[in-house]
Amino acid sequence: MSMAGYARQNRLRVGGGVALVALVVLLTLLLDLPVDDLLTIGFVERSFQAAAPIALAAIGGLYAEKSGVFNIGLEGFMIFGAVNAAAVMSIVGGSSPGQIDLWIAIFGSALTTLVYAIPFAVLMIRYKADQIVAGLAVWFLGLGFGPFTAVIIWGSTNSPGLTSVDDLTVPVLSDIPVLGPILFDSSPLVLLTLILAVAAWAVLFHTRYGYWLQAAGENPEALDTAGVSVNRVRYAAVIFSGVMAGLGGAVLLAQAGSFTGTGQTMVGGRGWIGIVAYLFGNYNPIGAAAAALLFGGLDMLQIQFQTAGIEVPNRLVNLFPYVIVIAVLTVWGSTRVPSAVGESYESEE
Amino acid sequence: MSDAGSSRDSGLLDRIAARLLDASVLERLAIAIASTGLALLIGLVIVAAAGYDAIQFLGYVLEGSFGDSSAISRTLKFTTLFILTGVAVAIAFRAGIFNIGVQGQFVVGGFTTVISILWLAPMVPEGTVGGIILLLFGFLAAAVAGGAYAAFPGALKAYTNTNEIITTIMLNFIAIGAVGWLVEGPFRGEGQAAANTERIPEYVSLPQIVYDVPDFSIVGLAVALVVAILISVVLVRTSFGYDIVTSGYQESAAAYAGVDAKRMIVVTMTISGMVAGIAGAIFAIMIQGYYSNPGGIATYGYDAIAVSLLAANNPIGAIPAGLLFGGLDSATSYIGLSSNIPPELIDGIVGLVVLFVAAPELFRMAARRTGLGGDDR
Repeated sequence: MSMAGYARQNRLRVGGGVALVALVVLLTLLLDLPVDDLLTIGFVERSFQAAAPIALAAIGGLYAEKSGVFNIGLEGFMIFGAVNAAAVMSIVGGSSPGQIDLWIAIFGSALTTLVYAIPFAVLMIRYKADQIVAGLAVWFLGLGFGPFTAVIIWGSTNSPGLTSVDDLTVPVLSDIPVLGPILFDSSPLVLLTLILAVAAWAVLFHTRYGYWLQAAGENPEALDTAGVSVNRVRYAAVIFSGVMAGLGGAVLLAQAGSFTGTGQTMVGGRGWIGIVAYLFGNYNPIGAAAAALLFGGLDMLQIQFQTAGIEVPNRLVNLFPYVIVIAVLTVWGSTRVPSAVGESYESEE
Repeated sequence: MSDAGSSRDSGLLDRIAARLLDASVLERLAIAIASTGLALLIGLVIVAAAGYDAIQFLGYVLEGSFGDSSAISRTLKFTTLFILTGVAVAIAFRAGIFNIGVQGQFVVGGFTTVISILWLAPMVPEGTVGGIILLLFGFLAAAVAGGAYAAFPGALKAYTNTNEIITTIMLNFIAIGAVGWLVEGPFRGEGQAAANTERIPEYVSLPQIVYDVPDFSIVGLAVALVVAILISVVLVRTSFGYDIVTSGYQESAAAYAGVDAKRMIVVTMTISGMVAGIAGAIFAIMIQGYYSNPGGIATYGYDAIAVSLLAANNPIGAIPAGLLFGGLDSATSYIGLSSNIPPELIDGIVGLVVLFVAAPELFRMAARRTGLGGDDR
């Protein structure tokens, strides 16, 4: 699907997005906000960084749902991803881990989440667990065992300061105005997310495997008739979604540099926002990443308001993304869900 | 089911239906017990793997939940909250609506109780009579606030088809953030070092009978039991309750019976939120006596989902399930104080319980394989 075709099919969605931007511009003019101070390159860069974990989880969730399984446990997998990344970094790098330890931690964490995602997929597909309840359970498991792991390793629900990811400066490319500093003189994790989003889009819409995945969610009988195991496709998608969410958590940790396990943990609803991001992006990985960027930007507004000297209580600005999630869901909530989502499939052999 | 006209046949049918119902009740009970047992077992394995003494941990759990009079009153305190929040979840789940927002409704209800009592207090006489008036007013305010906070996502679901799971979770975050800001700034008590509201007057409290502890009253527990029974009677015995359940599951059937299914979704959510609000009021009046930053308040509304699921979404079943979770929570605070085992473990065990309740097929298959009562289903 080309971008133009996407825009044509989603006239309402795109129109709504344009209207939203227009509204923001109007509000800025009316309230006489210092746009120059608010919309800086630093802000866009931070927004991309804040968007990366959400986008990764969203792409994972999208694959699972496209295949017919609603993985509502993204938030839980993100918590596990974050805490495991911190744990691996601590174990490999001791009290002062370096950049190599950080990358080992990210991949180690993604692998660990793979181990968690497999039994989850088995429960969902083989044992036909209630997808919503089981997904909530993953969240609760994360909220419990995430901080538990932290206490066992560091003696507190928060880890000490570890290390955060260094910026990657790509020569030549980083000299491009605007785009250069945002993409090529920034966290390499942003670039990684971007590459994964494009790859996920290409696989989903332009490969045979992508078509199988869509068929598993839309018309599992047809896929079965064609001789492809529906459940095998679903296993792959659910496990992939868990790993992507775990990777999202690890990326979040790599940016923050330490694990916070109090309250809702450092993940703080990003997994749930990921679900909304892919709904808003209409099950398109690139659309989902764009929606994640919107939420990332909202998340970073607080810093902009502070530097611009606008007096809004932090606690309230922090609630912006949640409010926008409800607004977005209300206006675009009735997206067409793949028709076989939530139904377990049994081959009639 | 041919020709069910004759009375003999329908009598037989009734008996078969009754047996099937019994079987499913028994099965649900078995699944609840198996889920809890398996979750605890895995918890013990994790405790042992983390290098602690699993047997000692089990001892702490028993001691901390039912060991002595103070442990029991602490258990009953948490049980009160779990029954109410569990019933709140059960009402919605019974109607096929996933109200994950009980925590938010609980917080909004409790906060409203405190500020409305503080607002009305100067206008009524001090003493017992004034106390009762303020108490009732506080409960009413909580029910209204909690109900309204749940009606909103209910209306979004009913009229714009918005996924209530996500909206209610977002509303939880918003409630916690907004109330946190309110107690920190606008409603902070004068001269309070911590971000708390002012204390409600001493005479606004539930009477101390049986247990003479400052943060538990048997009256609170009685309120919870009455609410559970009342809701159960409404759901099972009245046509209104029947409408609630059918509109959730069979919108077309409800419409055929002349029920506005969309309105019923909003009504169901409102009742669910009212019960959550009452739980918040009891928390505010019986336990705290003021309102603090809700970020630091335990997640009763989330654990309530496990309570309700364990009770197969039956309000009466929420009573024993609430007792179980009350015991676990009581043990959590005991373990936190008197041992070095991280109390977060219990939260994880709650997650495991929910996970296993979600997959009854797991136990059915296990039962078939081991030949344990597997033949008749």
